[in-house]
Amino acid sequence: MQGILLQLIVSGIAMGFVYALVAVEYTLIWNACGLLNFSHEKIIMLGGYVFVGTCITALGMSNIMSAILTIILLGIFGALIAVIIFIPLRNQTRLIAVVATVMLGQILNEAAVLVWGPVALMPKNFLSGVFTFMGATVAKSYVYIIIVAVIIIALLELFFKKTKPGKGMTCVSINKTASALMGINVKVSIVITLILSFMICGVLGIITAPIFTVKQQMATMIALKGFCAGVIGGFGSLPAAIAGGLVLGIVENIAGVVLPAVFKDAVAFALMILFMLFSPKGLVGVRDHVRNLQENRKQKKGKVNI
Amino acid sequence: MLQVDNIVTYYGNACALHGVSFRIEENEIVSIIGANGAGKSTLMKSIMGVVRPRSGAITYQGENITNLPTHKIVGKGIVYVPEGRDVFATVSVQDNLEMGAYSRKFSQKELNGLYEEMYTMFPRLKERRKQMAGTLSGGEQQMLAIARGLMSKPEIIMFDEPSLGLAPIIVDEVFDRIKYINQELGISVVLVEQNAYMALTASNRCYVMENGKITKEGKSSDLISDDSIKEAYLGM
Ligand SMILES: Nc1ncnc2c1ncn2[C@@H]1O[C@H](COP(=O)(O)OP(=O)(O)O)[C@@H](O)[C@H]1O
Ligand SMILES: [Mg+2]
Repeated sequence: MQGILLQLIVSGIAMGFVYALVAVEYTLIWNACGLLNFSHEKIIMLGGYVFVGTCITALGMSNIMSAILTIILLGIFGALIAVIIFIPLRNQTRLIAVVATVMLGQILNEAAVLVWGPVALMPKNFLSGVFTFMGATVAKSYVYIIIVAVIIIALLELFFKKTKPGKGMTCVSINKTASALMGINVKVSIVITLILSFMICGVLGIITAPIFTVKQQMATMIALKGFCAGVIGGFGSLPAAIAGGLVLGIVENIAGVVLPAVFKDAVAFALMILFMLFSPKGLVGVRDHVRNLQENRKQKKGKVNI
Repeated sequence: MLQVDNIVTYYGNACALHGVSFRIEENEIVSIIGANGAGKSTLMKSIMGVVRPRSGAITYQGENITNLPTHKIVGKGIVYVPEGRDVFATVSVQDNLEMGAYSRKFSQKELNGLYEEMYTMFPRLKERRKQMAGTLSGGEQQMLAIARGLMSKPEIIMFDEPSLGLAPIIVDEVFDRIKYINQELGISVVLVEQNAYMALTASNRCYVMENGKITKEGKSSDLISDDSIKEAYLGM
């Protein structure tokens, strides 16, 4: 029993990190240009196909070299998409950009079949096997997902808090005009954002390939649930996106035990709707609410006079 | 050093500037006064490339900068401290300052020197340097916006209604620093104000704007005793 619980917690945290990375990946773009990337599901899929279909199978490269090349190629693709879609369309009516990213997703979806064929691909000897400890058998892929996600999140944190371009991107997300008035090139900042976002999609495609296999719909569920994670955490904030992802991953896995298995996927969406109804600002809203209550209590006690 | 020739600026179909000309020379303080909605901020934003004039030209040090992107204009040494300060609320005071220097490639040592200079000029920012800018009072945010503007060592700095919403004692402090910036740091200053008396006493020359046009210009000392100005802007 204890073993099963541990297993569920580890896989819950791993999926939580997957949702968190998805939420981070689209929140970055939302913050940089106020647009949602509706093609992100297919960008993740593209990562999976380039990794298994092109690098490993067609080019015969090692797993690690394939992963590196995939991430680099996705970054370059991100820069390209920034220049042809996000920069020109960011000041147009939202609908135009929405349609453009939806179409990009469709093009990639169809292109995937043409280029890599209709049969699902599976990476061989990649993050396969299990770890056994304390009576639990945990798929290695889940453990690697957690490690990779923690590294990516730490690197992002360093980038945004310690480097000049990172701090500049934070300011662009707060106020674009004021950022331009600081001498920040907002277009360059959008290009960097798209590169980062697409690289994260590439990583997601790689690390989820052993779990979902590489196929057209491999990322459909995680893309939707990653969106839920963002709403649950609090839209537009990176730490909130991560918190939302983890909460969702764990709640969902526990619900999978308590409720009949068919309800498992519904839990994410139900949770999102609950948050939209009762705390539209997500966990951030809940936190602010609790803080306000504490402030009020303190004020009533006369400890703080404002 | 900065010359604006006959610019016309629209927001959609609404014309906000109907052919405005304006200039500022080295070491001057030039003020622009006018009622709310006269087009003062639009003139500033047109200079900075935040909004684009439909016609007319903006020349800086003999170079046409009318169509340069905003960040390049900042790189040339023109800085605009916007109306409403626009500090980055969820970023620390010191990081706000660092962003002010974004267009320059300063070493960490030079940056630290600049921070110290700003903290000497605005001591209250030093105490609050690790605080998020959004937690500062209105006056402190204005000080931060000014200091942030100075971080790139500009040649011209343009202040848009720096006294807006501040207590009179803080307004005096802000104007005191603006004069210091001009006299001690040798930076040319454009001062946009609704507070006409403060603007006229602080500046060398003044432009009066009404409905998207310059209706009067001249030495501030002359305008302050001009009857129509007295009546319309000084309430005398
Ligand atoms: N972003 C905008 N969109 C549409 N109209 C605007 C915008 N900003 C200013 N205006 C209009 O342009 C005119 C000049 O405004 P502004 O330059 O802000 O005046 P001032 O700074 O002198 O108060 C006003 O009529 C105002 O309503
Ligand atoms: Mg204004």
